Amino acid sequence: MWILARRGLTRRPIRTLLTTLGIVVAVASMVIFLSLGEGIRKVFNDELGGIGPDVQVSLSGFTQGFAPQPNLPQSTVGDIEKLAPELGITRVTPVIMSVRGSLDPSQSAVLYGLPAEQGINAVFSNVAIAQGRLLRAGDSGVAVVGAKASTNLKLSLGSTLRLNRRSAVKVVGILAKSGGLNDSFIFMPLVTMQAAEGAQNRVSMVAVKLDDPKAARRVADQLAKTLNLEAQTQGDFLSFADRALKISDAVRFGISLISLIVGGLAVTNTVMMGVFERTREFGTLRAIGARPGFVRELVLTESLLLSLVGGVGGLLLGLVGIWGVNLYTQNLAGFDAAALTPRLTLLALVISLLLGLIAGLLPARSASRLSINEALGRV
Amino acid sequence: MSAVSPSALLVTSSIQLQTEALSRTYPSGDGQITALRPFSHTFAAGMTSVVGPSGSGKSTLLNLLAGFDTPSSGAVRVGDTDIHSLSEAGRADFRLKHYGFVFQSHNLVAILSAQENVEFPLMLAGVPPRERRERARALLSQVGLEGRTHHLPSHLSGGEAQRVAIARALVGNPAVLLADEPTGNLDTRSGEIILELLTRPAREGKTVVLITHDADVAALADHHLRVRDGEVTVER
Ligand SMILES: Nc1ncnc2c1ncn2[C@@H]1O[C@H](COP(=O)(O)OP(=O)(O)OP(=O)(O)O)[C@@H](O)[C@H]1O
Ligand SMILES: [Mg+2]
Repeated sequence: MWILARRGLTRRPIRTLLTTLGIVVAVASMVIFLSLGEGIRKVFNDELGGIGPDVQVSLSGFTQGFAPQPNLPQSTVGDIEKLAPELGITRVTPVIMSVRGSLDPSQSAVLYGLPAEQGINAVFSNVAIAQGRLLRAGDSGVAVVGAKASTNLKLSLGSTLRLNRRSAVKVVGILAKSGGLNDSFIFMPLVTMQAAEGAQNRVSMVAVKLDDPKAARRVADQLAKTLNLEAQTQGDFLSFADRALKISDAVRFGISLISLIVGGLAVTNTVMMGVFERTREFGTLRAIGARPGFVRELVLTESLLLSLVGGVGGLLLGLVGIWGVNLYTQNLAGFDAAALTPRLTLLALVISLLLGLIAGLLPARSASRLSINEALGRV
Repeated sequence: MSAVSPSALLVTSSIQLQTEALSRTYPSGDGQITALRPFSHTFAAGMTSVVGPSGSGKSTLLNLLAGFDTPSSGAVRVGDTDIHSLSEAGRADFRLKHYGFVFQSHNLVAILSAQENVEFPLMLAGVPPRERRERARALLSQVGLEGRTHHLPSHLSGGEAQRVAIARALVGNPAVLLADEPTGNLDTRSGEIILELLTRPAREGKTVVLITHDADVAALADHHLRVRDGEVTVER
């Protein structure tokens, strides 16, 4: 049976090869598409999970995305500080954020303003200085840039970074590479950034550190209630990110489904042509005692074999693609956006087998229902 | 030709092949074509020839005997079994066990070697590989092709391929052997070899049904049927 199926396919090597290539491309595109989500998910879980504030308070939660508008009055800081002893809050840090966009994504960076006297470590405990110095009390008109931002924007110690027409800052420090998203951040004193953004006494959010991070959920609820604002924990952020990723997974899977369907049709076509060509042969097999089920399984085996080989090939091509994507995102933001996880590998193989099964059903059915008489022809 | 006789062929199973008012009509336009009129007959052991002009219904009869086609009425009985009352799979199993076929063209599987083609029915029957190989080898040497076991059908002459087909038909030691113009595509010399190979199982007590155009070929048979316009008559 195996021999029959294998030789049945190698009898028309070019056609088989082309069909296999079709599946290879379909599976590879699915793998690459889906691997994007996996990589980003990994970054969130590995890196964002370990850093950032225990609770962050903002006006409208995550609905405004990663970098909310500075629309929160700075007086909120005082309100939270009043509740600090009661809720076990050890530090309250007002933050202003803004995304500095560009047509070339590698020129983009996140501007991050926080009180110079609290320092960058107040929110990102793992950053370390590579050149120059960190922010310190009394700073103004200066910036400390992340490793990736410094290379992308060609900033070195002493360079001047224009924020807009009115204001510019001087680079006084460059951070060591952390591997996290904050490599693309540019840190500056809160007042400097508020001035540049024209957002005096307003902040994007307030970061809150607790003496017991496990109490984050309870504290966030309490803060949201008393202040009538949104308060999110790290967990909220992760599940928000996860939900967003799931939606984008679905979209990307939908796109790859199209190529999978095309690949499946190619398999059906190839196997069907093989069945037509071998009508006489199948008729003979049936005549000398093969059950209809045997012929059906033979055709299904061919179809499965074809799609499995295509699936494995697709995984390999997908790996190359992922490597390419990561080369790009490493360059861009300093992390691997795409990852081939075991569950994705399994998914790709299962999907290719499923594809082979579905694609083979029709030809297998028609092969097993051949009339022996007609198949043998009237000679 | 070699004198090897495998154990498989020594134990000859014989079983009675019978038709009961067997008939076949084909729908044609608004009317019907009667390809076979009701025919009742018990095939005796040995070789039965079936002769008749083209289009008279010879192949129709054979296809019904084989279970490739469904009769319009009547039955084909092999031993106690009415083969048309079996399921499609049941009929396949029955053919595998009791029937051997030789067609006008060899109908070998193009991607399998001579040996693999002969092994095929045994593979379907679940015979272990070792035994399969040995029996296929023995059969191939019986038909004088011990030197051709690994050839693909496309690398065999028409006569050789037909001999492989006979080996395939006989490898399962069937009680009934059905042949539809097995020499139709061959030159005289190759045809003689094929006929010699078909008379052997007939002498061993199998039921062999041989369709032919050729009176000389028919003369080799023990019993004779003639078909004319779907009407089958027993001769002499
Ligand atoms: N599937 C079919 N549909 C319609 N008519 C058929 C079919 N098969 C056979 N016939 C008709 O039945 C009659 C007998 O055909 P059959 O093939 O049995 O002849 P035959 O004796 O084998 O002829 P030949 O010697 O040429 O092989 C013919 O008239 C043929 O046209
Ligand atoms: Mg005929």
